[in-house]
Amino acid sequence: MNFGKTLTLLIIAAAMTYPLVPQSSDYIIHVMTLAMVYMILAMGLNIVPGFCGLLDLGYVGFYGIGAYTAGLLTIHYGLPFWVILPLAALNGALWGALLGAPTLRLTGDYFAIVTFGFSELVVLFLTNEIWLTRGPLGMPGIQPITVNLTWLNEAWYFQFYDKTPNFYVVALLVGLVFFIMRRMEDSRLGRAWYAIREDPLAAASCGVNILNYKVIAFAISAAIGAMGGCFYARWSMFLSPDMFKFWESFLVLCMVVLGGLGNIKGALIGAVILVCLGEVLREVLTSFGLPPETRFMAYGLIMVLIMRFKPAGFFPAIASSGRSNPLLLDLQKRLAARNATKEETRGAAA
Amino acid sequence: MAPLLEVEAISKRFGGLLALTSVSFNVVEGEILGLIGPNGAGKTTMFNCIAGVYKPTSGNLVFNHDGKSMRINGRKPEKMTELGIARTFQNIRLFSALTVLDNVRIARHCRTESNFFRSVLRTKFQLVEEKEIVEESMRWLDFVGLGSHALSDASSLSYGDQRRLEIARALATQPKLLLLDEPAAGMNPKETRMLVDLIHAILEVGVTVMLIEHDMKLVMNICERLVVLDHGTLIAEGGPKEIRENPQVIEAYLGRGAAHA
Repeated sequence: MNFGKTLTLLIIAAAMTYPLVPQSSDYIIHVMTLAMVYMILAMGLNIVPGFCGLLDLGYVGFYGIGAYTAGLLTIHYGLPFWVILPLAALNGALWGALLGAPTLRLTGDYFAIVTFGFSELVVLFLTNEIWLTRGPLGMPGIQPITVNLTWLNEAWYFQFYDKTPNFYVVALLVGLVFFIMRRMEDSRLGRAWYAIREDPLAAASCGVNILNYKVIAFAISAAIGAMGGCFYARWSMFLSPDMFKFWESFLVLCMVVLGGLGNIKGALIGAVILVCLGEVLREVLTSFGLPPETRFMAYGLIMVLIMRFKPAGFFPAIASSGRSNPLLLDLQKRLAARNATKEETRGAAA
Repeated sequence: MAPLLEVEAISKRFGGLLALTSVSFNVVEGEILGLIGPNGAGKTTMFNCIAGVYKPTSGNLVFNHDGKSMRINGRKPEKMTELGIARTFQNIRLFSALTVLDNVRIARHCRTESNFFRSVLRTKFQLVEEKEIVEESMRWLDFVGLGSHALSDASSLSYGDQRRLEIARALATQPKLLLLDEPAAGMNPKETRMLVDLIHAILEVGVTVMLIEHDMKLVMNICERLVVLDHGTLIAEGGPKEIRENPQVIEAYLGRGAAHA
């Protein structure tokens, strides 16, 4: 195993055990949980601009749909988190498909404008449909995540008010989404997306139905965003339309671009960097007497700097998980063997 | 036997410009048909109509395959590929950020069917299919002589190799008819010779070839039949020898009066 991989595993192990340390600070656990929520969002968003090459400026809309779906189902029906999670994902996918099917014929900037409009619509809906969402008053009193194992043991009923169990729930979700992303990336589906990103006309002449695959990408991306929202609702226990403003979309997009469009690991690292940076800036900027919102100017500056000096992000490699597929490792060996025999025959001839 | 593709009075209009005016010809199974003409004659427009990129303004495209006769004009490019019409592009359009193998693997798309759930769950069906995709892609890469480059980036290939990769990608869709748009453009003489061998090999595996080419030596050399377009109309059709002596063709290429000179 090489050094980089060992280091990555060590960092992940250290992060995962941190909440168990008795001296651990609630604040750090909170920031780590938040970073993981953004990891889910960044991985989900990555599908659209990263894999398919379509600029999506309204991702937070699906995050909001997922969060309010979870909030409403919890308050009105008291469903457990584990039931709501797939429902929220389905609802996200539904809206993703409904928005995508008519609009994904648009390309480039036009599509970006539509997605931007959509996320604004979601915020307006959440603000004005007071009968459903209580509008700007927000939605308090959402129950935290519960695990009900009373069918195994009478005493096994847990409510996750504490930060630590929530940390592990979101870690589990990040793992799940990461697993799904890796498998999608190295499949017929992922290859079709990369083909669309690289050259839509050539992709079509390879037999890829571009519109269908874009809608699928949009729906899956929306479903992942809604999963993130679902966790967020049960974790923060309070929702308000302000949480789903355009800035959030921009922040997630920054994470994806910073990491490298189309690279899953890049999205994860981008999320960590920008969430940490956000926390640091909040402190630093207020100490200069500036309002914390000015941090968005810093994000903008970062975007400009990345575009100038590292336009492909920190991890530009795309379709990288396919390279560790046993099929390709096997092929690599076969090719090496073939080249070796070629060299031999050439050597014998000479 | 009915020809593989019947082009019946195809016209294509872009606003006020009539790019193709009632062009008719046939593509017979197992032949190499050359489509030639001066620049702007409408050759690539014709290809784009056949490949489904453009919808012909009027006329019919009839594709005869498996004993069935289908009117195919106006179908989407991916449907044409599914039917068995593959193409390469005049200016190379590879997926340059991907590996050589991935470029060809994508072309197996229309012959495979694993969906999201199968991909995520890695079902037995998907694993078998992925293995087939790799084997089949390698078969075509070896066919064009790029097998040993399979895992390099497509953008790292030389110009001639990129052209051959495009051909491998088109062949991996298992076409009946292969449209080659200026396959020899920018190739050196050695690469062109290899291309001629490759085209003959393609014919041997049962794929009919139709090509646009400006290299007259190449065209006269390998095509059994030629179709000549000029200003969007068909001006001649026949064997290389007839075409070379056809006064209208000479006039189209060299200008009025050249035929008498």
